[in-house]
Amino acid sequence: MSEAPQRVAGLARVLRALLRLNAVEELQYRANFVASVIGTVFSMATALLTLGLFFRHTTRLGGWDYWEVVVLLGIFNALTGVIEAVLRPGIGGLASEVRSGKLDLVLTRPVDAQLFVSFRTLDIWRFSDVVFGLALAGYALVRVGRVPSLVDLVAFAVTFGAAVALVYAMWVALMCLAFWFVAVENISVLFDAFYEAGRYPVSAYPGALRFIFVYLLPIAWVTTVPAGALTGRFGPVTALVASGLALGALVLTRALWRAALRRYTSAGG
Amino acid sequence: MRVWWRRYAALVRSAWLVDLQYPAAIAIWMVWNVTEPAIALGIWWSIAGSGTVQGYARDDFVRYFFAVTLINQLTLAWDAWYIDRWVREGELNFRLTRPISPVHEAVSDNIAYKLRTGGAALVLWIAVACFWPAARLAWDPGRWALAALAAVLAAGIRFFNGYATGLLAFWTTRVSALMELQFGISLFLSGRIAPLSFLPPAVVSVAGVLWFPYMLAFPVEILTGAVHTTADYWHGFAGQVAWLVAWWLLYVLVWHRGLKRYGAVGG
Repeated sequence: MSEAPQRVAGLARVLRALLRLNAVEELQYRANFVASVIGTVFSMATALLTLGLFFRHTTRLGGWDYWEVVVLLGIFNALTGVIEAVLRPGIGGLASEVRSGKLDLVLTRPVDAQLFVSFRTLDIWRFSDVVFGLALAGYALVRVGRVPSLVDLVAFAVTFGAAVALVYAMWVALMCLAFWFVAVENISVLFDAFYEAGRYPVSAYPGALRFIFVYLLPIAWVTTVPAGALTGRFGPVTALVASGLALGALVLTRALWRAALRRYTSAGG
Repeated sequence: MRVWWRRYAALVRSAWLVDLQYPAAIAIWMVWNVTEPAIALGIWWSIAGSGTVQGYARDDFVRYFFAVTLINQLTLAWDAWYIDRWVREGELNFRLTRPISPVHEAVSDNIAYKLRTGGAALVLWIAVACFWPAARLAWDPGRWALAALAAVLAAGIRFFNGYATGLLAFWTTRVSALMELQFGISLFLSGRIAPLSFLPPAVVSVAGVLWFPYMLAFPVEILTGAVHTTADYWHGFAGQVAWLVAWWLLYVLVWHRGLKRYGAVGG
């Protein structure tokens, strides 16, 4: 009976060790930190200018006013930080490893392969995007002039967590496609392409696109919902639905991962 | 001349055959090129509503962003990322031992790839236009021919701009940052997010002396009809030729200076 807690403790130890290793590694390259911060500031400035351009010609975007959309933009940026720090350097390498057969080196390790692949490499400097993004969202929230209640904050925390889980699930699902279509090393580009749509509230899109982003590609749940939770547009019910969706997505991708591994024929196959 | 014709025919054919092996990867890159204009179109579509923005109604936005998608597909430049890697990882070496400069191979790759993907984008546009009147252009073959010429010049500017920037890898390890910087600026000044006339007038006049509008916005606006006076044409084509020559010269300069430096490091 004591096996499960022991396994969890073991996994936690592996995670801690990976985090420490990566931190030590990256601390050698401090210039990368400066470059990463400049990159973040530049991309945030471009995003704000784009928004400024839209708002030169309108007062509302899908019913959201300027500062509400900036809240959303901050959350988009924070999530981008998670993607760039954890997902792209980690699981993002999977497609090319399937192609070259290097995945063998992962599979022979005595640790859960999905966990290891997901967290082996961290670009820790990009976590600064999370800080900058949340700071921007916080500032914009002040400008909106609405103090979020405790319920709002909890709803935000839950929906943001769900967003991270959904984004992770999308990456795993995409990478698993590489087990079927081998020559698709650039498959993460598909994620980037659709993730861009998350810069604006989903209500700003025409009906057909909105339907796609809510029901087919869960882009709406990734930025619109957490931002709306913070500004009080969505309540606890939406948060519950979001966490259910995230849970479902995680279970599905686990199943997909197993099916994909069964297809893997290694370097010689 | 005949010799060069044969060389290019062989290089383009070989690039075409290489591309044949990666249909899925090429389709993915095309999706990536379609989504950015599609998102911008979606936003402008809902801002315009049943009225107009700066004289653009919904249908005008549709035509504008279809044109952006097509011209962007034809003028893309990706060489900077490759050159950056070649210089850092020494892959440039075996390319230098070939009896023909690496730039010709890059030009051929561009021709082959753009014939394939530009053709696909055009077919897609025509297919959509069959069902969706908003996506149809007015019948005007003369204008289309001028747009094609402008697209070729734009592709040339973007190619040498990317190639010269990529060659800065001889001096710096931050080439991709320089490309990202230009990419961010081109969002506005090349008209990727909105027609240039949507920007503040001061910004538009600054843009006019830089290379950005000539890389994308000018051919796009010929196609949509926003550029139609003789003066506009002269101004646009003159800007294109000037920047094409400028970036070609910069490429030549950086290539020769860089190679000397590269030899010194390796030797």
